[in-house]
Amino acid sequence: MTGIAVAGVVPRDVVTPRSVDELAQIVRELHDARKPFAFVGGGTHLALGNAPRALDTVIRMTALDAVVDYTPEDQTITVEAGITLAELDRVLEQHGQMLPLDVADRTRATVGGLVATNAYGRRRQRYGTAKDLIVGVGIVRPDGVRARGGGKVVKNVAGFDLPKLMVGSLGTLGAIATVTFRLYPISQATRAAALTFAHAGGAAAATRALLERQLEPESVALYNDDTLVVTVAGTRHGVDAQMTALLDGVAPACSARARELTELERESYEQRERAVRRDGAWRLRIAAPPAAGVASFGAFVEAPPVAVPVAYPLLGVALHAHADAPASNGIDGLRERVAAETRGAGSVVIAAMPDAARGTVDAWGPSPPSFALMRALKQNFDPYGLCNPGRFVGGL
Amino acid sequence: MTTVAGSPVPAATGDALHRRFAAIVGAKNAFVAPVELRTYECDGLLGYRVRPEIVVLPGSTAEVSACVKLARELGMPVVPRGAGTGLSGGALPSAGCIVIGLSRMKQILEVDLPNRVARVQPGVINLDITRALAADGYFYAPDPSSQSVCTIGGNVAENSGGAHCLKYGFTVNHVLGLTIVLPDGEVVQLGSNAGEPDALGYDLVGVVVGSEGMTGIITEALVRVLRTAQRTQTLFATFPSTDEAGDAVSRVIASGIVPAAIEMCDKLAIEAIVAATGVDWPLDVGALLLMDVDGVDAEVEDTAARAREHLTAAGAILVRAPKDEAERLLAWKGRKAAFAAMGRISPNYHVQDGVIPRKEIAKVLREISALAAKEGLRVANVFHAGDGNLHPLVLYDARIDGQERKAEQVAGEILRICLRYGGSVTGEHGVGFDKLCYLGEQFSADDLATMQSVRTAFDPDQRFNPDKVFPTPRLCGDKPGAYVAHVTETTGEAGRG
Repeated sequence: MTGIAVAGVVPRDVVTPRSVDELAQIVRELHDARKPFAFVGGGTHLALGNAPRALDTVIRMTALDAVVDYTPEDQTITVEAGITLAELDRVLEQHGQMLPLDVADRTRATVGGLVATNAYGRRRQRYGTAKDLIVGVGIVRPDGVRARGGGKVVKNVAGFDLPKLMVGSLGTLGAIATVTFRLYPISQATRAAALTFAHAGGAAAATRALLERQLEPESVALYNDDTLVVTVAGTRHGVDAQMTALLDGVAPACSARARELTELERESYEQRERAVRRDGAWRLRIAAPPAAGVASFGAFVEAPPVAVPVAYPLLGVALHAHADAPASNGIDGLRERVAAETRGAGSVVIAAMPDAARGTVDAWGPSPPSFALMRALKQNFDPYGLCNPGRFVGGL
Repeated sequence: MTTVAGSPVPAATGDALHRRFAAIVGAKNAFVAPVELRTYECDGLLGYRVRPEIVVLPGSTAEVSACVKLARELGMPVVPRGAGTGLSGGALPSAGCIVIGLSRMKQILEVDLPNRVARVQPGVINLDITRALAADGYFYAPDPSSQSVCTIGGNVAENSGGAHCLKYGFTVNHVLGLTIVLPDGEVVQLGSNAGEPDALGYDLVGVVVGSEGMTGIITEALVRVLRTAQRTQTLFATFPSTDEAGDAVSRVIASGIVPAAIEMCDKLAIEAIVAATGVDWPLDVGALLLMDVDGVDAEVEDTAARAREHLTAAGAILVRAPKDEAERLLAWKGRKAAFAAMGRISPNYHVQDGVIPRKEIAKVLREISALAAKEGLRVANVFHAGDGNLHPLVLYDARIDGQERKAEQVAGEILRICLRYGGSVTGEHGVGFDKLCYLGEQFSADDLATMQSVRTAFDPDQRFNPDKVFPTPRLCGDKPGAYVAHVTETTGEAGRG
């Protein structure tokens, strides 16, 4: 397979293991030869992070796509990490179940990539992220040794929490080989309403009203800083009641114009959401305490957007996509502004940037105060620095 | 790597030791007299007692840090302690150790409803967070049965669960940020500062929560608070036996309903709870289920109706809703008082905590009861059925020679049954000291070594809560699982019971 570049770095070789044992053997051989390597799933997040310091071999995980153990009546599934989200959906749908984690491209994105990047979308509001749904993990350590953490039951505090450690570790602590998730039933009904505001600050008032009325939306997404799309899902009656409360209660309370979306319109909003996570050479994720009004941090210093910016105001996340480089000091300026307005409690992650820009700006920004612990963890897991070295926060 | 536990020779003892630590925490917050140390010799796992060298009760993060640094200088193991309600011996002292108790750090420092977080000190009692928020219509979700006495620091260390984690998740799903004192005395902030998501780097909060006091001492926690549900519908159902009740739970879960909680009590548990609390539960049934469905009003109505159908189809004798809020609260009070109630039906009991897949409940309960009967013992069951988290209570009489030992064996065999069904040796009580040998049956040597490499990133010298969680040949013999006398027992430092 050609054309794979990890954050701009082209490997010498690409290998595709056919079993977890083979994966472990490949990793062990690379480790013993002290050759740096990286794991790639569907390749939907290859632009995330800084360029690896060194890269000999890319290990493609896509042939590890088996369902290891699916117990529908227990609402749990164990899969190999290379299975795509689309294939997983297909398996789960047969039993009316779902893994409610959103990625931009389900036909390409794999479970392993989802977990390694801690990707999420609008439904985080209701279901959380992979951290909340993962119950077990099988890994191949950077030295090629297989290890497990967690299990296949939904409640379990035995041993240290390796599953949580692996979520968002971006392949720097070893390969995610198998994952066990708790699942949810597919909702009986889903409806959505769009609330549009004549003045700034309307979205903040609307999210307050949602909380006041004790609604439990599946997602709350703000498009272009002026349209709040609230999706409710559940039983038919429950969804009807929440829609009524939205249109007749929440909307007047925040002086919004409100209307229910058709299924087609709903899908078109979701496409815009996927676009902001997929398109544009420059993509940003801004996180801040929800009350800081993260949506308004968006102006990406003088660069025209390629997709409508999307924010999740109840979560405190905003997503931006642009074609052009920011004006000089753009990212640094934005980081300073976010830090100032959140008293240091925010972050700006560059989810994608053009290869030409790598090295001029850090994808992650300032390292957290606990960085020494992270370095110690990395050192313990990967003392030779072979596993995706340098791509993650602070050069981990 | 050195393990100091087992052969510690403190550089100072008694009065000299007291003077050193009193200079940090004040004379009245440091204890060395045997009579004062007695309380700290064990936690809720009563079978083991070890006397610490000294107990200190610091009043601030800075004091905790100074105590840890001094303990390090003196070469003493450090055992953190919250309210001491843990059931796995997580706060059991190690020989020659200092116990750092967090009970004086009990301030709710900040409630930030716009960001839906609260910043609390470790000694804050779990229920007090919800009490502080209730008037505003918010609550803190994790609700261990001991929530009226247990503290957040201990909850974080053990990743405590509770009845309602079926829907809401465990402590780890509700802790956004932590301030901890590391084994070298450094203070470090982990995760979210003020409620922002997506802290950069590895999920250290996820690692520290549930690490049983082995990674650091929690001195501040930023926890998520939730808006209370529009409505909570409780259902109370009785069954001829645990077969039908277990089947009912499996049906509800398989149908995709996510109740806030499903709790089961078997006949013996019902007897004990009725005797202890005066709830008017029927005594002529084999099992009962207590279920909460909460959320948006109309949704709750639908879901509760569907749940009723499943309960009835599984063979419920009776399904009813409490007639008012008072009756609802009384039912839950009964459930949460269950362990304490066991005293009404047995002189002694051993609480077990294991997890199984939820489709296997009825089958596993039958196996457990057969196992106990073979040994001439009774087992009461009161547990979080919705997530398959069993709490078999092995009843025994310590005055009868050999019964205690037998009860322990039965409790251990129950864990092996859980493992055989693909489960876990602990769902919420933690491994602590009680179950470390069983951890070696659940995980391979490579799994455990990998977990150790997480631990030593925080604590290279393994001085924080040594002799916990990880099985060692010294504590477990060469084969995991087999009981051997704790090293402190054979040296006379500790006794059992």
